[in-house]
Amino acid sequence: MTPNGAALFVIVMLIGALAASGPLGFSLLYAVLVAFALVEVRAGTTTALTRSAVIVLPLAAFMAAVWIGFVGRSPAEIAAGASGTRAAAAAYVLTVCLRLFLIVAAIQLVLLRFVHLTPLQFICALRLPVTAKRLLALTLSLTETLRQAVDRARTALIAAGVITRRMSLRNLVHGWVLVQTVWLSAITIAVGRMRDKWPIEGTLGRLDDLFQRARTPSLAPGDAVWLSLGVGAALFGLGIG
Amino acid sequence: MVRTLISGPNFSGRSDALRGSLASGAKAFVIGPYAEAALSGLASTVADEIAVYRADGADDSASFAPLDLTIYTDRKPQTLSGGEQVLLALQCFSQSAYGRVGIDTALEQLDGDNRIQALDYLSRVERDIVLIDNRLATAPPGWTGLACQPEKPAFPCDLESLVAGVAPCAAPRIVISDLHFAYRPGADVFQGAALTLEPGRAFRLFGRNGAGKTTLLKILVGVLAPGRGEVLLGEQSYAPWRDGNATFALAMQNPDHQWCGATLGEDIERRRASLKTGQEKVSDARIAAAAGKLGVTSLDQHLYELPLAARKRLSWLWPFSGVMPWIMLDEPTIGQDRDMCRALAAALDRLCGLGYGVVFVTHDDDFARQVPHGIITIDNHRLSLD
Amino acid sequence: MFTTPRLVLIALCAALNVAVGSIVYLLKLPIYLDSVGIILCALLLASDRWAGFACASVAGTISCVIIFLLVNPFFIWFELTVIAIALVSVLLTARFADTLRARPLPNAKFAAIVLICGIVTGVVSAIVSAPVVAYLFGGVTGSGSAFVVAFFLKTGQQLLNATLLSGLTADPIDKVLQVLFAALLYRATPGDFIAMLAAREATSATSAAR
Repeated sequence: MTPNGAALFVIVMLIGALAASGPLGFSLLYAVLVAFALVEVRAGTTTALTRSAVIVLPLAAFMAAVWIGFVGRSPAEIAAGASGTRAAAAAYVLTVCLRLFLIVAAIQLVLLRFVHLTPLQFICALRLPVTAKRLLALTLSLTETLRQAVDRARTALIAAGVITRRMSLRNLVHGWVLVQTVWLSAITIAVGRMRDKWPIEGTLGRLDDLFQRARTPSLAPGDAVWLSLGVGAALFGLGIG
Repeated sequence: MVRTLISGPNFSGRSDALRGSLASGAKAFVIGPYAEAALSGLASTVADEIAVYRADGADDSASFAPLDLTIYTDRKPQTLSGGEQVLLALQCFSQSAYGRVGIDTALEQLDGDNRIQALDYLSRVERDIVLIDNRLATAPPGWTGLACQPEKPAFPCDLESLVAGVAPCAAPRIVISDLHFAYRPGADVFQGAALTLEPGRAFRLFGRNGAGKTTLLKILVGVLAPGRGEVLLGEQSYAPWRDGNATFALAMQNPDHQWCGATLGEDIERRRASLKTGQEKVSDARIAAAAGKLGVTSLDQHLYELPLAARKRLSWLWPFSGVMPWIMLDEPTIGQDRDMCRALAAALDRLCGLGYGVVFVTHDDDFARQVPHGIITIDNHRLSLD
Repeated sequence: MFTTPRLVLIALCAALNVAVGSIVYLLKLPIYLDSVGIILCALLLASDRWAGFACASVAGTISCVIIFLLVNPFFIWFELTVIAIALVSVLLTARFADTLRARPLPNAKFAAIVLICGIVTGVVSAIVSAPVVAYLFGGVTGSGSAFVVAFFLKTGQQLLNATLLSGLTADPIDKVLQVLFAALLYRATPGDFIAMLAAREATSATSAAR
């Protein structure tokens, strides 16, 4: 499977998740997902499903608390002006959670399918304009730069007493100083690169060369199989309603 | 092959000379002085960083490869230490097709062995090298020297006068006992570590990468809480992770990570507002005067618009203000010329004489030799003091 | 339009949106700040509105996608909201860029600008988000505003109205904070970086590096 095929597969599953509402529709989509997991991801499936559960379960608990615990009826009953039941609210929460889990699990499975690729290798394989690929590479790199800056600036600001280690009114009032320090340190790094390193090295040109050298097919035959299955399941679910 | 060492004091135009010599002609690899300046900024793994620069058909056996890629390949370059980033950059250069490289004080971040290896590689590789390095007093054999002189003094720095205005201090003794810390189960950093630091002395913190130097600093300033153990200041229990830090003034390796404002005035104002009851409320005028002795006279000065060497010196302002009894400096001499390093060593020695305590981390053995100090070693999850 | 500095700005603002989430978590604060990068991008490109809109929208989209992929599956549905915030930031907030950066700080004007721009941004954000939240998720996403929606539902409001009212209650407050953060970061940004952003490179971003 190619990264392009995988990205399209996620989009198809996302649309399918939105379109499905009945048990059969969801069953078909989940069947395609399970097949994908068993054939393409295999040993990584457990990790993908665990991560998906970690993301979705808190949201599910929250929605259950609001809809079942507090509101006590489903949106359809509210729209019809009916008194409604908690059972209907529970059914609604289950439907939304099934959708969310399907989408999240599809994403996690795809990420694990390509875990052997480095981020740049993944980006290289995507069929996107060069500028978009540059942006993705820059964003991933700068996100990590900012994360490191957060850790180091937090150490310094706690040492200076400007913010505290735990939740506090001081953090509410002065927390933005941490954001500012992180922002400014990242800008300093970026300006230094743009002024000193990149023009002399032609670094962005090196990246473009890397994109050019990684000539992989946009889609593979296997992609068509998964996309067809996904589209079929989504259309079936849409038709069933 | 042309190998050039550009020498001169800070602010004498060395960096401009380096850039100027590389700007014309074929593209050249650059390793700058500031944080992450060794990195391309385009990769989020070490493997990708190497892939960006690697030439087709590069001969791995001939390349400079100090990093064990089996360990590092999936690491994020931004999480590496400064020295590791420089080594990674040299590795990328060695596998690239660049015929020239410019290195602006970056080698100063390397520890002894790695620095020797790097200089050896640069002295034999068949490419042009332009180097700025404050720790090389003269050009090595086979290298050309290019001396820069400042046209006019910039950011004049008078540490002697700054420290002369600092009041004596009776810093408390620090006693660490039975310290246990782990970032996660099974990844112990300290197991029953113990240490006593007497005031009026300087201590150099030693340990290989990942040994726990940064962890110890973070515990002492209150960023991390130990799993078990006790820290005493004199006779008093000290728990900055709960009560906040009123003891250690910290200067970070990268000064940009420690500013509390965009301008010098904002930074000072926030630090003063954060001082605890009982700490001396140092006046604006005194701090401004101290900043003037570090080369910055205007409180409206935008900190990030200063040259890096000036920012580095300004990062010593709060530690040298006399507000906190213990001073921590992380790699204070990177990017500083030898005269400034001598002045810094003398200033630290003077502060110890005034009763302050000093802890510093440095790879600069020449600087360390100028400061009478004890050595704190972190090894095998324990602390020891020579 | 997409010069190298502007590409870096987009990446920085997208990364800021993603990283700020971790800052908020570390500081244990009950706020979101997921659009600070969009508003800041518009301010930094105040001199070129179309570039500002394009860059802010792209930055918001990238952060939206990253957060959707890695953290919060609700995020991708708010792409229209991202575009709307970018538009308001360019057409309204960026108009006051000079005042927001003035030294000394004109306190009253600064506060008024932040308040007005934040409220307008919040109102627009709520109006654009409401149909998405109502029809895709029945008014309940992972945020605390769900309780406000639930409250309005309990009082007999229809779903779209309840979602809209919830958004109009919470979003202006949230966006005032975000405009404030963005304005403070804008004030602090060094002038040479802003000058780099305003410059139009003679060659395109693709060829400049060769």
